Amino acid sequence: MSLLESLQNGPVGQLINGSNHLVGVVVQFVHIVGIVLLLTSVLLVALRLLGLGLRQQSIAEVARLARPFLYLGLAAAVLSGSLMFISTAVVYAAKTALQIKLVLLVLAVLLQSTLVRSLVRQPAGRLLSASGAVASLLLWVGVGLAGRAIGFT
Amino acid sequence: MSSILAIAQSIEGSAVGTAIAESGIVFPLIEAVHLLGLSLSVGLLLIVDLRLLGVVLRQVPAAAVLDQLRWWVFAGFALTFLSGGLLFWSEAAKIVFNYAFIAHVVFIVLGLANALVFETRIAPRAAEWSDNPRLPTAARLAGLASVSCWVLVAFSGRLIPYLS
Repeated sequence: MSLLESLQNGPVGQLINGSNHLVGVVVQFVHIVGIVLLLTSVLLVALRLLGLGLRQQSIAEVARLARPFLYLGLAAAVLSGSLMFISTAVVYAAKTALQIKLVLLVLAVLLQSTLVRSLVRQPAGRLLSASGAVASLLLWVGVGLAGRAIGFT
Repeated sequence: MSSILAIAQSIEGSAVGTAIAESGIVFPLIEAVHLLGLSLSVGLLLIVDLRLLGVVLRQVPAAAVLDQLRWWVFAGFALTFLSGGLLFWSEAAKIVFNYAFIAHVVFIVLGLANALVFETRIAPRAAEWSDNPRLPTAARLAGLASVSCWVLVAFSGRLIPYLS
């Protein structure tokens, strides 16, 4: 039995697959709430770095406001996403959209924890700040689009 | 009832409705815009609501948070309503009597009514109250009602495909 099969047929997979449809709805809803919180956080920082939103607050202040939403959103999305994956691991793992999503997710987390983090800590030139903001927005939206494609491919 | 269904059928059967429904890519793409646009509309509104409730940015006047985010929130809702309208266009007859869709619309109306009361009755007098970390009951209630309504809007929206 492959790793994916044992994951799907393991206790967590069994629990989800054997449960009421409502459990699936709730897990998907948590996933959406997580995505919205995470994207809101990314959006707040990006708008501030671009000079388009909350300009009366410092970049550091906006980053402090946004951080808990990023962590909470990411945790909710990753946890609920993992549960969805475990319950259908064999089919999902083979999907190109999911593989693209995971690559984009890793890139987005890397960008967020390197470039965006340093832009927030010490002010940089307008061009670099704007590029970082746009790149992080595009990457996270890309994660979302690839995720949406999973169910349709 | 039958006339509502007839109207919904003609909406769904129109050129635009059929085009969206029959394209394999357009419907999921509009759904993606509808979902990701939520961060602009509901997400930024959540920041405003949490300020009204005194959870975030307590040292910043609530009016400053509101004024800086208001047009982004409006733009976000325009995007969300537009994409939602297109989704409805393509499956009007299928979902018009769907309980989740009806709940979705009811909660949207409640959310909008709350926003209207806030914008016309509470926000115009913001100068009197908005500098305090802890805001008057009316403003805090409006924030709480807003969060509750839009969370229910999102949940009932997610339920639509399950009940149709």
